[in-house]
Amino acid sequence: MLTFLNRNSGFLVLISRRVGGLVGVLFGVSFITFTMTYFAPGDKAAAIAHARYPDVQGFPPDILEGIRKEFSLNEPFFIQFFQWLLRFVQGDFGNSFASNVPVWTIFLSNAMETLSLTLTALVIGLCLAFLLSAIAVWRPGGLFDRMAVALASIGAAMPNYWLGLLLILLFAAHLNWLPAYGTGTPAHLVLPAFTLAFWITASQTRLLRAFFLEAKAAPYIETLRLRGVSEGEIFRRHVLRRALVPALTMIGLDIASLLEGTVIVELTFARGGVGSLLAGSVLSRDYPMILFLVMFSALIYVLINSLIEILQDVLDPRKSLFGVTAESHSDEVRT
Amino acid sequence: MLTVKNLDIHVPGKTILKDVSFDLKMGQTLCVVGESGSGKSSLLRALNGLIPANFASISFHPQGRTPIDLEGRWQRKPGLPETRWVMQDPISALDPKLPLGVSIGESVFTENPTTSALRVAVAEALRDVELPSIFATRLPAEISMGQAQRACLARALIARPSLIFFDEPLSALDAIVQKQVAATMKRLQERFGMTYITVTHDLGFASAYADHILVLRDGRVEANQPADTFFNAPESSYCEKLIQAARDLGGLPEIPVQGTKSLEPQPC
Amino acid sequence: MTIVSESGFIEEADLQKSNQDRMLSRFLIRIGVTALLVLMVVLAGYMLSPYAPNSPDFLDRLAPPSQVHWFGTDQLGRDVATRLLYGGVWSIGLAFLITGIGAIVGTAVGLAAGHYGRVIDAALMRTTDSFFAFPELIAAVTIAGVLGPSTTNMVLALILVGWMKFARLARSLSFELINRDFIVQAKLNGLPSVHILWRHILPNVGPSLLVLWTNAWSRSILSISGLSFLGFGVQPPNAEWGAMLLDGKAYMQTAPHLMIFPGLAILLSVLSINLVGDRFRDLIGGNGSAVN
Repeated sequence: MLTFLNRNSGFLVLISRRVGGLVGVLFGVSFITFTMTYFAPGDKAAAIAHARYPDVQGFPPDILEGIRKEFSLNEPFFIQFFQWLLRFVQGDFGNSFASNVPVWTIFLSNAMETLSLTLTALVIGLCLAFLLSAIAVWRPGGLFDRMAVALASIGAAMPNYWLGLLLILLFAAHLNWLPAYGTGTPAHLVLPAFTLAFWITASQTRLLRAFFLEAKAAPYIETLRLRGVSEGEIFRRHVLRRALVPALTMIGLDIASLLEGTVIVELTFARGGVGSLLAGSVLSRDYPMILFLVMFSALIYVLINSLIEILQDVLDPRKSLFGVTAESHSDEVRT
Repeated sequence: MLTVKNLDIHVPGKTILKDVSFDLKMGQTLCVVGESGSGKSSLLRALNGLIPANFASISFHPQGRTPIDLEGRWQRKPGLPETRWVMQDPISALDPKLPLGVSIGESVFTENPTTSALRVAVAEALRDVELPSIFATRLPAEISMGQAQRACLARALIARPSLIFFDEPLSALDAIVQKQVAATMKRLQERFGMTYITVTHDLGFASAYADHILVLRDGRVEANQPADTFFNAPESSYCEKLIQAARDLGGLPEIPVQGTKSLEPQPC
Repeated sequence: MTIVSESGFIEEADLQKSNQDRMLSRFLIRIGVTALLVLMVVLAGYMLSPYAPNSPDFLDRLAPPSQVHWFGTDQLGRDVATRLLYGGVWSIGLAFLITGIGAIVGTAVGLAAGHYGRVIDAALMRTTDSFFAFPELIAAVTIAGVLGPSTTNMVLALILVGWMKFARLARSLSFELINRDFIVQAKLNGLPSVHILWRHILPNVGPSLLVLWTNAWSRSILSISGLSFLGFGVQPPNAEWGAMLLDGKAYMQTAPHLMIFPGLAILLSVLSINLVGDRFRDLIGGNGSAVN
């Protein structure tokens, strides 16, 4: 009974430590992001002025000074940082230099494009990965298995912008079946979605194959086999069902790669979306937009990762227990 | 040479050891006996400054030297000067990436562990523990448990310590090898006049080698007496039961062997 | 308490060990010879090639592969084959440099965190986590873009976002090691921390870090060519593979060889580094090292 009590209190400690760590990391993220833009070369006032009046060449000093006042660019670094952070935490992300529209509005209008691309690719990629790995483990070492492994290796090494170009070359330029660049109709979604899905398929096939192989060799599966349950039923009812959680977990942990892939694919296919928005605002030095986008991607990454970690703590009693005891043990020895 | 008075170890919410005192004389063997969880390994760790403990007093007085202020020293680094520690699992006590010769020699030759002086010293230490000197080039993965424990012994020996701590030195070995290694330990002790503190749960071993026995149970001292009186007239009923259990299992001779010399050294 | 029969243990351990050792050394020799051969072919090709990577020939533009130009010429009449060899130095070499620096910095940070523990560990790891939160490519695009697109800024950006994996791995490995018997033993024997770090901790974390490094190297090749393809990396006229793809994109229909060969070069080099890394990981077993 004592162990039980210990475990529960240790568990709360673990969760609160994670949340504490999360706050620390978020602060670190905002600090790094802000520092990055603060120390970027070039006159920010000129950049703002140029973004506002793109046709004007050369600005009188009093206009630049006015802009500096407006955006408190003359304040010391830390004042600027905390002013920005305070506004950011309150949900005031600022206006775009270029259009003077709130960055949140611009982001939302682009987010749907990105979301539809990512989700479509995710569904296609996961379905293909499940299919491929299920076929592959049917006869481990067989022809299909080796093909799946080869595909996974190639997929991990394939630059997805190049794959995109090849698909454009084949399906848009030569066969003329699908549009190459741009956004709009569902047809525009096909090539980018498959490009992105290819990477997901490759990485997940590798993972699921290993998972299936392990699950098929598990002792309780062996028992089912001895009881006379057919191989097909074992796979459908016992192995397959347990694979979705680890697959989604791995994608969650590798959300950064998914975001990156999406950005590259969007830019390759000249699609609208968050990726193009980022590239555009980087090139035009639209700092509020850059700050928001980088912070946003970091936030997504941190939140999803912490969520998965906490879920793992909750789901796996062994891990939380060992996590606490192992740490207290190491503290003890280092004194 | 090592006198400990009223040692306590606490961790938050729990007392691991309470009121342990003993006085160890030079050249003797102290066996700390107890079940797992009785706190005997913690005692060893505390004596080496690896975990914090409270003492009424502790004095360490190695051969021909002034007493050493241990608590001040432990602020800086763990370990007792002029002592060595031989651990329970010999394989994990040796760096898997280093040949035995380096592991054995580095504690005395940190500066340049490839000189011929080192090689000679290592070969000598290996010979002392009855291993061929070729073992200096072997990796821990290439030797047996018994050989590894001998290598650990050599590593301890090369520093010519006045005191060696043994933490269950034989429990990872099988019976025949246990006997051989124990005999080597005994022989080296007599030859170099070393003092041993051995943690064990094996009363048979204690009856054969101990001069003094300290029995721990749930962090408290059950018995603290010379070996011969312990086996004839133990201090508590718990110890009586312990001795009886060991006799029933055949781990103890009916008439206890007293103090020293029981096993002749055997070839490895 | 485990009791292992003396003779049984020896044979098994000996067999496994020597077998593994032999396979590992054979593998390393094979890798070394292959790398040397590739290097010689590349050097020879580069020196024997009658063309310079950046000299245009306006009379012979966008020529398809032929006997004169094995992989054809680009929009300025430059020989694609020569540019590919030259570009490999950029793609593979820069990736080597970036991940090498990242590995050293990250390992140092991780080992420091593992060694000092407590406050320093917490501070270093929060910093690492914070850097980790930026998706590598997004951060690199931002940094390289804000600083101005150039090779130097791209290298800077990729180093800045590439060291954390090493820090995390080195830290977790050294934490596992620090409570291992042989490290405790070394401390008790009074060995200085620097000695323990060099002789005990580094050799035991090394193989795992090496596996991670091959992985990071190949990913870095993808990042470099990706950034260059997006215009944030190596700038024309330098023949980085991603930059060549960007050039070739406009002539996709008339001269598809301009985008097929550079892409193939990226794919093959990343694939081969990955395969070497996989094999190496298999050979040293699991995550490879004394730490299990």
